[in-house]
Amino acid sequence: MTPAITPAMVGQVVISGLLAGSLYAMVALGLGLIFGVMRVLNVAHGPMLMLGAYTTFWLFHWLGLSPYLSLLVSMPVLFVVGAVLQRLLVRRVVDAPELSSLLLTFGVSIAIVNLAQLMFTSDLRSVEYLTGSFILGPFAFSKSRVIACVVAILITAGAFWFLQKTRLGKALRAVSQSREVAQVCGINVQRIHMLAFGVASALAAAGGSLVAVMVAIQPEMGQVYTFKSFLVIVLGGAGNYPGALLGGLLLGLVEQLSSLFLTTQVNEAVAYILLVLVLLVRPTGLLKGRAS
Amino acid sequence: MKRAFLVGLALALVALALYPTQGTGYGVRTMLQLFMWIALAQSWNLISGLTGYVSFGHVAFFGMGAYSAGILIGKLGWAWPVACLAGGVMAMVLALVIGWPCLRLKGPYFAIAMLGLNEVLRVIVSYYEGLTGGGNGLSLPTLHASVPIYYAMGLVAIAVTGLTYLIITSRFGLRLMTIREDEVAAEAMGIDTFRHKLYAFLLSAVGPGIVGGLAARDQGYIEPLSVFPLITTITMIVMALFGGKGTIWGPVLGAVVLFTFQELVWARFIYLHQLLFGAIIVAVVLMMPRGILGVLQQKYNLPRTI
Repeated sequence: MTPAITPAMVGQVVISGLLAGSLYAMVALGLGLIFGVMRVLNVAHGPMLMLGAYTTFWLFHWLGLSPYLSLLVSMPVLFVVGAVLQRLLVRRVVDAPELSSLLLTFGVSIAIVNLAQLMFTSDLRSVEYLTGSFILGPFAFSKSRVIACVVAILITAGAFWFLQKTRLGKALRAVSQSREVAQVCGINVQRIHMLAFGVASALAAAGGSLVAVMVAIQPEMGQVYTFKSFLVIVLGGAGNYPGALLGGLLLGLVEQLSSLFLTTQVNEAVAYILLVLVLLVRPTGLLKGRAS
Repeated sequence: MKRAFLVGLALALVALALYPTQGTGYGVRTMLQLFMWIALAQSWNLISGLTGYVSFGHVAFFGMGAYSAGILIGKLGWAWPVACLAGGVMAMVLALVIGWPCLRLKGPYFAIAMLGLNEVLRVIVSYYEGLTGGGNGLSLPTLHASVPIYYAMGLVAIAVTGLTYLIITSRFGLRLMTIREDEVAAEAMGIDTFRHKLYAFLLSAVGPGIVGGLAARDQGYIEPLSVFPLITTITMIVMALFGGKGTIWGPVLGAVVLFTFQELVWARFIYLHQLLFGAIIVAVVLMMPRGILGVLQQKYNLPRTI
């Protein structure tokens, strides 16, 4: 029998949902950037997150570096990986039919996961850092989740500042609005594509470094984030960057609430049903996106 | 040319039909697996090769068929051929449930919905233990039926290939390919794109459903991890792409070549398997998007129906 649900439990679940949601929002913003700028859905986004998590794990394991400081390594490293991936492979399918870019990034995704299995083995790894919880009245929150949420909010705010205030960020938004017009205005579109892919991979890496403290690290941990990030984008409206924030928080809330009423096992099924429902009822997302 | 091809095809079919009387048990089971891969790659080709909508979760229909047939055989005592056909029907029902919301939209919605579907089914199957046996799996009563299953599997492979031939040479197929080339133009010409995509998707789900049921009967035991592996989807995609997506014989060619390689060479490098498949996908997409058969068609001016 499920025990009675008290208001305190609901409060706890809502706050946990928001904590998890801020992380989803950050990772999904990356996927949304690539999609918005290049019209490419990067199936390898989740595996990028996995690489970020491994970067944090190895730095912690060999050098004892704090997982939060390792963000300073994992984000630049994955920025470069993403930019190189774009330059070498993705660039060639940006204008091809959707099938090509989906299949290409899918191929890259399974190759990355397999490489990780070869290099790091499939053993479950964990970063033992910052255990315990903050107690606040009737609520208890694990320290790692609270800090992950704060860091994710800071990084997401940084990304928005970059998009809104800097020249490069403005150029990036211009390309995502209309590539031709941006090109006519003298924006180097190829460079912006590389930049967008790099920033997106860095955001995924940040997500990986932050979840490294909370969950078991293994080569296949990433794929589910590709799906969840996409769900977040659909919820918020494709091509609508602030929408990703709303979508992320919503996904976190729905997942946590469902684990209150059902078991945590069916978490993924609930997220899936949410996707199907949104596509049926409001395919343009909650905030209006540019979906076809 | 065409005549030689048809004669060769007829000879190959006769040889395959006589094979179980001569071959070893191991040989029969290997050929049975080859038929399974032909049916799977060809089915993936029906939706993704013809309409351009990528299905990243076709193994879900395989698993759906395996579990439907497994439950019908194991719990209700149905005869296996009927149960396997019912598995195909169940796979179609699942395709309808997923296709209805996801195929109405253009863009990558369908691909991602299929990417998640597999995981979700695995979770659901593990959760409803009463019906499916959960993580412990489901054992079917023992039955030595390799040879009948060999013929059944071969028939499914022929049926799906025949279906592809009928579709590609029909108006329906032309409309599907129009959607692939330019969906907006297809709509402007009055094609009900949603319906056509949905029909193609339903047809592409039947084969994997039946094949899943047959595989379950052949192995005699199913569990969530064995019937929903991502590698099955990857393998059918690689086979169809390598041989030539959107053609009739491409997936067959891809399945035969890659399956042979897999049995002879790659079985020794099991750890490199996915890396190799990933590399093949990337290479085919970048360097020969039409696959081997597409290259041959262009080079030797072969008809489109080869």
